[in-house]
Amino acid sequence: MEIKKINEQENTLEIKNLVIHYISDEEVVKAVNGVNIIIKAGKTLGLVGETGAGKTTTALSILNLVPEPQGKILSGEVLLEGRSVLSMSEHELEVMRGDKVAMIFQDPMTSLNPVHTVGHQIAESIEIHRKVSKHQALKQAKEMLELVGIPSERSNEYPYQFSGGMKQRVDIAIALACSPDLLIADEPTTALDVTIQAQVLKLINELRQKYHMSMLMITHDLGIVAEVCDEVSIAYAGRIIEHGTLEDIFDHMRHPYTKGLFGALPDIGVRRSELMPIKGLMPDPTNLPSGCPFHPRCDYVMEVCSQSLPENKWLSETHCVECHLYKDTNESML
Amino acid sequence: MDETVKKYTTRREFFKQYKKKSRLQETWNRFLRNKLAVIGLFIIVFIMLAAVAAPLIANYDTDAIRINVPDRLQSPSAKHIFGTDEVGRDIMARIVHGARISLVVGCAAIAVALFIGGALGAIAGYSGGKIDDVIMRCMDVFLCLPDVLLALAIVAAFGTNLVNLTVAIGLAFTPKFSRVVRSAVMTVRGVEYVEAARTIGATNTQIITNHVLINCFGPIMVQVTLYVASAILTIAALSFIGLGIQAPIPEWGNMLASGRVYMRDHAYIVMAPGLAIFLTILSLNLLGDGLRDALDPRLK
Amino acid sequence: MSNVLLEVKDLKKYYKVPKGMLHAVDGVSFNLEKGETLGIVGESGCGKTTIGRAILRLVEPSSGSVIFDGVDILKLNKREMRHMRRNMQMIFQDPFSSLNPRKTITQTIEEPIILANMIPDPDKRFMRVMELMDTVGLAERLVNTYPHELDGGRRQRIGIARALAMNPKFIICDEPVSALDVSIQAQILNLMKKIQREMGLTYIFITHNLAVVSHFSDDIVVMYLGRLIEKAPSETLFANPLHPYTQALLSAIPVPRIHNRPERLLLRGEITSPINPEPICRFANRCNYAMPICSKEEPGLIEAEPNHFVACHLVGRGNGCSFS
Repeated sequence: MEIKKINEQENTLEIKNLVIHYISDEEVVKAVNGVNIIIKAGKTLGLVGETGAGKTTTALSILNLVPEPQGKILSGEVLLEGRSVLSMSEHELEVMRGDKVAMIFQDPMTSLNPVHTVGHQIAESIEIHRKVSKHQALKQAKEMLELVGIPSERSNEYPYQFSGGMKQRVDIAIALACSPDLLIADEPTTALDVTIQAQVLKLINELRQKYHMSMLMITHDLGIVAEVCDEVSIAYAGRIIEHGTLEDIFDHMRHPYTKGLFGALPDIGVRRSELMPIKGLMPDPTNLPSGCPFHPRCDYVMEVCSQSLPENKWLSETHCVECHLYKDTNESML
Repeated sequence: MDETVKKYTTRREFFKQYKKKSRLQETWNRFLRNKLAVIGLFIIVFIMLAAVAAPLIANYDTDAIRINVPDRLQSPSAKHIFGTDEVGRDIMARIVHGARISLVVGCAAIAVALFIGGALGAIAGYSGGKIDDVIMRCMDVFLCLPDVLLALAIVAAFGTNLVNLTVAIGLAFTPKFSRVVRSAVMTVRGVEYVEAARTIGATNTQIITNHVLINCFGPIMVQVTLYVASAILTIAALSFIGLGIQAPIPEWGNMLASGRVYMRDHAYIVMAPGLAIFLTILSLNLLGDGLRDALDPRLK
Repeated sequence: MSNVLLEVKDLKKYYKVPKGMLHAVDGVSFNLEKGETLGIVGESGCGKTTIGRAILRLVEPSSGSVIFDGVDILKLNKREMRHMRRNMQMIFQDPFSSLNPRKTITQTIEEPIILANMIPDPDKRFMRVMELMDTVGLAERLVNTYPHELDGGRRQRIGIARALAMNPKFIICDEPVSALDVSIQAQILNLMKKIQREMGLTYIFITHNLAVVSHFSDDIVVMYLGRLIEKAPSETLFANPLHPYTQALLSAIPVPRIHNRPERLLLRGEITSPINPEPICRFANRCNYAMPICSKEEPGLIEAEPNHFVACHLVGRGNGCSFS
C-alpha cells in the first residue's frame, strides 16, 4: 500500500503487509493475509470485522504475542513509533508492553487474576515500569481507580466482588496505569449489558481525549465505531478491504461488503420490513476463495473477481478500497 | 425437492449417497499422531496376545507349576529364556500365565467398579440435591481408605480365592468411579442440548441414555484404562504380601515375593516379573493419556 | 372466540439461596394473541431467560398461572405436559451447545418426531426431515453431517428445524441470533419471519438487543430485576418510552450513523440485588428522576395510554407527563 506524504514521526502505529498463518499438522489457518494499518498520533482507528477477519491476531502481533508454536509471522512489519516490534528482544518487548502499548481484552471475567486484589493488579504494572516502591505504586493505583469511577477504598477487594462492568473498568485502569501511547481495545464491551456499555464507552472517550492516547478499537459493532473512532478499517478474511474517515465509510461506503454490513443492521431509527443480509457464509480461513475473498457472496461479482486479488486503490486522500469495481476509477469520478 | 423424493425413496439409499463422516476414524487418526500412545498400545497388545497364547507358549502344568528342583536357579539361556526360579520352574512360562491372571482379574474388577460405581455416580450426578449428597458421602467414607487396604480388609475377611479378589478390588475402586461418572454427568446435565431434549418431550431415562451417557463415554474410557493399571498393581501388591493369588498359581506379585531372597545372586528371578509389571502399567498409562488427548482435540 | 393463545398471570419464580430468596421473576403478566410476536427485552439479571423457561415448565414456576390455548399447563401432570410440549417449542441461544455433538443433523431433527411417535414409518419420517431441512434452508447433502462440521448460522437452522418438527403453535426464541455474526443474523431473522408467515406461528422473542427486537416484534415487554416495567406496541415504545429505564436503554444503543445522533441518557450506579428485594421501586437508586415516593412504595402497572402499560410513579395518578 502506498503511504501518502505522512510524517513518520506522527504515526503511533504502522503495520505493513502483515501475513500471519497458524500452521498445524492438519491444516493451515490463514488468519492475516496482508494487513496494512496506520494510526496517527492521538487518533482512534476502528478495526471492524466479523469472525475470521483476523482482528485479534493482528492486535496480538502489535505486542508480539501471537501464540508461538503454531502462529507464524510470515512477512510484514509492525512499527510502533517507528521501531520494529517484531525484531525486538524479549527484554525490549517487556519494557514496551504495559508502558508504550496496553491492551484491554473482551472478557472481563477471565482477564483478572482472582487471587490478587484489584489494587495489587493495577500496581503491578506501575511497579514494573516506573521503578517506584510498592507503597507508591499502590497509591497511584488508587488514583487510577478513582479515575475510572471506582471508589479508591475498593482497591483491597478481589475481582469476584465486582460486577462485569466494574471489572472492565479495572481492566481499563490497569491498561492506563502507565499512560501508554497506544491502547488496544479488543471488543471491550461485547460481554457487557448495553447500559453499562454506554458508561464504559463514555469513560474510554474521556480518557483518550484527556491523555491524547492513540487507540485501536476492535469491534464488529458499527454503532460503537460511530461513537468512538476517527477512522475506520474494514477487515475481511485477513485483509483490509476498505479504509477511511468516518464520513468516508458511513456516508460514502464503496466496498460491497461494507454496504452489506450496513444493510444487514437493524437500525432503530430506520425501520424496514426486511433486513438485507449478505448471502452465503463467512469465509473459511483454512480454505479461502480464489481471487477476491468476498467474491462468492458479492452481488456485483465479475469474472475477474475470482481470478485475481484486487489492488488497493486510493479514492481520495483519506479513503481507499480493495475492489475490482474501482480499478479504473480516479478521484474526479466520485 | 420432488425430484429428490423420486430419486431416493428410502432413507437407506439416501444415506448410501451421503455417507457419515466417521468420528471414530477422526479420533483414531488423532490418536495415531501421538507416538508415545502408539508405543503404549503396541506393548499392551503384545502383552495381551502373550496372555491369550500362553498355553501355546508353555504348558501350564509341566512348565509353570511342576516343581523341578534339580533345575533350580538357572540363569537365562536358550532353553529357559528368563531362567528358572527357586524350585526349578521356567520363569517365562510363569510370566505369560501370570499375565492372564493379572489382566483378567484386573479387567473384571474394573468392570465391577464401573457397573456399580457408574450407576451410583450417574444417579447422583443427574439427580443432584439430597440424593447426590447421600450417595457421595457414602462414597467419601470409602475414598478415605487406600485401595490396597480396603481390598485387603475384604480379602482377609472372606478368603483369598479369585472371585473374592475380583470383588474386593472392584469394590475398592467403586467410589473412584462414582466420582468420575458423577462429574462427567454433571458437566453434560446442564448443557443446552439436554434442555432441548426436555423441550421436545424426552423422559429423564431417555435423556440419560440418549444424550448424557454417550457424551460421557470419552472421559470414562480414559479413566477405565488408568484404573485397570492401578488394579493390576493392587493385585500384585496383595499377592506380594500373601493375601492375593496364592502359590503355586503364577502371579507377578507372588513371584516377586518368593524370589526376593535370591535377588542378590540371581537378579533375573525378580527382574522378569518386575519388568512385566512395569511395562504393563506404563503401557496402560500411555494408552490412557493418548486416549484423553485424542478424544478432546482442544487439549492440543 | 378468543384469539388469545397464551395468558401469563402473575408468574413468579423464586430461588432459595444462602442469603435468602432470589426473585428471578416477580409477578409478570401478559397476554399473547395468535400469530403475533412478543418481544421481551432487558439486561442481565432481569429474568427474561428464566421467564422463557418457566413458561415452558423447563423450570417449575413458584406461583402464578400459564394458560395455553385455554389449558392451565401448570396443573398438568408429567405425561400430559409431555404431550402438551408438542405445541410449544424453544429455539436456544448457543448454536454450539444446543445440539448434541454425537448426533447427525438427521438424528437431531427426527428425535422429536420419534419421541412423539408422529410418523412410525422410517422412510416417511425421513421425508419429513428432508422437508424441514428444505424449509430452513439446509442443503440435502448435509443429512449425515455432525454439528462440529458446520458454522453457527447453519447450526442455528438445525435448531429451528428441530423446533418445527412437531408442528408447534408457539415458539419461544431465546436470543436466537446473539451468538451469530452480523451478516448471518439478518439471514436467520428473515428466515424466522418467513416461517412465521407461512405456518401461522406465534413467537416470544427474548433478547437484550433492542435494535433486533424493534425489527421483529409487534409488542414489547421491558423487564428489570424480575418485574415487568413497561409494555407497549413496538412503534409506541420507540416513539414514546415512558419509563426512565426504557429511555436509558433506548438511548444506550450504539447507533451506526454519524449524523442525527440521539443524545445519550446515562444511568448512575449499578443494578441492585435480586435477593430479598424491598417493596420499593427497584430502579430508584439509578433513576435520574427519582422522587421520595420511589424509595417508599413499589409502583403498580397502569395503562398510561391505550395498550401502553408502565410501572412508574412518574406516570400515573393524574400526573400525565411523558418524558420522551
